[in-house]
Amino acid sequence: MPEYPDELIRDLLRDGLSSEELEGLQRQDKDEDRFEQVLRLEQERLEWPERILLCLQAHLYVVEKDDGSKVVRCDCGQEFGDYQRNWKESALVFERAGADADAIYRGPRVADPDWSILREFYCPGCATQLDVEVVPRGYPFIFNVELDLGAVELRRQ
Amino acid sequence: MMMSLKDRLLERDRRMAELGRYEEKLELKERDPIRFELLYSKMVESVTSAHEVARRVSASPMSRELGEIIFGLYTPEGDAVALSRGLLIHVKTMSRMIKWMIENGYEDDPGFAEGDHYFNNDPYIGGAHCPDQMIVTPIWWEGELVGWAGGLTHTPETGGSEPGGFIPFARSRFDEGLFLPCVKVAENDKIKRDLEVLVERGIRSPIYWLTDNRAKITGSQIIREDVKGLIGQFGVDYFAKACREYIEDTRLAAEQRIRKVLPPGTYREVSWRGSMMPGDETLLHGPVAMTVTREGRLNFDYEGMSPAGRHPFQGTLPTIEGLVMNVVIQNLFYDLKHNEGVLLNIGLNVPKGSAGNPSSIFYPTALWGITYGAGLASGQAISRAYYAKGYREEVHATSALSSAYTAGGLDQYGRPFGAHNFEFAAAGLFATAVMDGLDTAGVEFNPEGEMGDAEIWEQMLPPVYLSREIHVDGGGYGKYRGGNGVMSLYLVSGTKDIDIGAFGAAPIYSAPGLMGGYPAGALYMWVGSRTNMHRLIAEGRPIPSGEGEDPAHPDFVEMVEARWELIPGANRSAQPAREGDLFTAMTGDGGGFGDPIERDPELILRDLENQVTTHWTARHVYCVAIDPETMEVDVAATEQLRRKQREERRSVGMPAQQYKARERETILRGDLAKPTARMFHAVLGSSEAFRRAFLEFWGLPESWEMTDPDRDDEEVE
Repeated sequence: MPEYPDELIRDLLRDGLSSEELEGLQRQDKDEDRFEQVLRLEQERLEWPERILLCLQAHLYVVEKDDGSKVVRCDCGQEFGDYQRNWKESALVFERAGADADAIYRGPRVADPDWSILREFYCPGCATQLDVEVVPRGYPFIFNVELDLGAVELRRQ
Repeated sequence: MMMSLKDRLLERDRRMAELGRYEEKLELKERDPIRFELLYSKMVESVTSAHEVARRVSASPMSRELGEIIFGLYTPEGDAVALSRGLLIHVKTMSRMIKWMIENGYEDDPGFAEGDHYFNNDPYIGGAHCPDQMIVTPIWWEGELVGWAGGLTHTPETGGSEPGGFIPFARSRFDEGLFLPCVKVAENDKIKRDLEVLVERGIRSPIYWLTDNRAKITGSQIIREDVKGLIGQFGVDYFAKACREYIEDTRLAAEQRIRKVLPPGTYREVSWRGSMMPGDETLLHGPVAMTVTREGRLNFDYEGMSPAGRHPFQGTLPTIEGLVMNVVIQNLFYDLKHNEGVLLNIGLNVPKGSAGNPSSIFYPTALWGITYGAGLASGQAISRAYYAKGYREEVHATSALSSAYTAGGLDQYGRPFGAHNFEFAAAGLFATAVMDGLDTAGVEFNPEGEMGDAEIWEQMLPPVYLSREIHVDGGGYGKYRGGNGVMSLYLVSGTKDIDIGAFGAAPIYSAPGLMGGYPAGALYMWVGSRTNMHRLIAEGRPIPSGEGEDPAHPDFVEMVEARWELIPGANRSAQPAREGDLFTAMTGDGGGFGDPIERDPELILRDLENQVTTHWTARHVYCVAIDPETMEVDVAATEQLRRKQREERRSVGMPAQQYKARERETILRGDLAKPTARMFHAVLGSSEAFRRAFLEFWGLPESWEMTDPDRDDEEVE
């Protein structure tokens, strides 16, 4: 039995926690079985049957397919390839600078593009904005999470 | 014969390396856990009481009001055992100071006698920059040194080439002010008069430095005398072993915590700052790769950090160590005993010669920018790991990069003065994965910093506040937005001799968002000189009360005739001002979390009602249709706007491989702006690992070399 009821963790995942419940979660010792519980609740919500191995970030999961391959997949179903490779390599990219930056940052709040631009990554499937990198032009994509999935699975057993 | 402290320190390091533990067995804890915890609680009580009393001894608002102060109790070898609340990063930097004195033979000369108090503000020994000033005193019991008590304050003035301690264009350490590296400032608990004269004549507003010294010495004496009382009660052997066990107890708990909450893997973030030195404007690179090992260790690798140079935006090794301690305590070990044990499962690689570990003490560290950035990025890496494990209540974007103004000259009472306004400790906090960032909440280097009363700042510094408001739309946009900082508008008043400067950053996005959230915007400062303010006031006409809704056309610029100057990045050398001049200062804002078009329209309505966002932002960024008259959300129109936004993304977004091919050409053409090109050139030349990763990512041949962006300049005859 998980330490917290499914309803509470479901609310955490789906933006329904009250601030009192949130504070309660933050103040308590971390629950040992959260990882499994979150995977189970996320699996329930998603419309595809393949097993989720890990929640990588907002909207993205590492999923095990029938052929045994482990890929990054968006909740819309769009795939981004092997989890050991940066998912950004399979995303849509938009460099936001100049007039495009003025469209959302006003006046002096726009950074000088000689120093800093925004690189937005969208899901090719659902066009969700998955990441916004703050980088100078010419900077390699940041590979944020490179998992030791073997070790994660080892701990699950 | 008693072991020297130097030998004890070596023995401590040997024991740690051999056992991988600070103390082999937790015998006292196991034998009687209540007694064990009782002594610890008495220690915490003592450092807390030192902190509270010291605040009331000092005349500096930094210490009194803002919480820029901390006290700690240390082992004889200089490892923290217990600490008060406050300026967390300096627990470790004080530890470095004690170790430095031991390693450098201070035990023999000048010696550690009862009642000696040693001062340090040299950041290459311990501390972050000249204003961080620590005083430690040895604790003796029957002829044996049994520990150290110490306190640190952040002082508002250091006697640098510009007023206020933060020197935004320092070219060397010698611009930053008066450094006293491990100097004995008191004997027999009596402050040395000659050293007070040195400070009285060496800096602009000596009262803060001098009363801070009294505060720290008072606090240290409280701890010292309490410890003697505790040793009398518990016995000296029990006390010494318990100190070691507290550290090992934390180390063990930290190891278990890492194994429990962070999945093994490598997590990478990158932070940026910039050196604004005229003619040599250079972006600074602050990457971090955090590896969680299967065994429960955390390694923070800063390989690829920009090299150190002649600018103040770098830090020292003690600074980055302190920042990491600060970050792991706040993010991971918040409920453990806060002491050296939190760092014992942590590995650090800060390359020698980098801006986080300069090879020469010649380089200034006044703004320690890129080390701070890299420290914050380390917290971000922890957030990503928390997310993967399902603990979303702990996930957050980046904390603010803040700025403030400095001033010096003659104050409203006709006295020489110099100081900085430290309301920048009330920046906007990061958004989290489950809620908006808190407005005007704090900064990461001091979890309990605050802004202070406007009246106190007006007493300390001649400019008066025309307004002090929440920075509208400051926090990074996102499903959950970053917290908004403070924007203040000041009027120069009451003095005919004043210089106004500011410390900030380069014109970069200041605090990155997370998982689709936007960063906070760039920092900036407005200065209006030769204004018509006196006439406006005399004629009873309206005067501005802030920036207003549109930062592109701020109210004060619209309402006041002046020579208006905008300083992107808010880094400004101190320059003369006159009565009636206006200027702004802003604390930073936090980064946002998640895709902004997923933001609940109800949250936007709430922000509109609180006047911390605008209808413009609601429509253009969040794609929400709200009727400004009725304040009702049009659900269908909102869905339509958001659908359109997704279509727009599909049309402007380029497949990554196509984007990479285009950008590769840009790099091959050398078509990069100078601040960026200088950064790449310096980092590619100093980090082989970064060079390899860069070549691989862009598919460039091994033989490829980047042209020196300043080469042409050198060829001018």
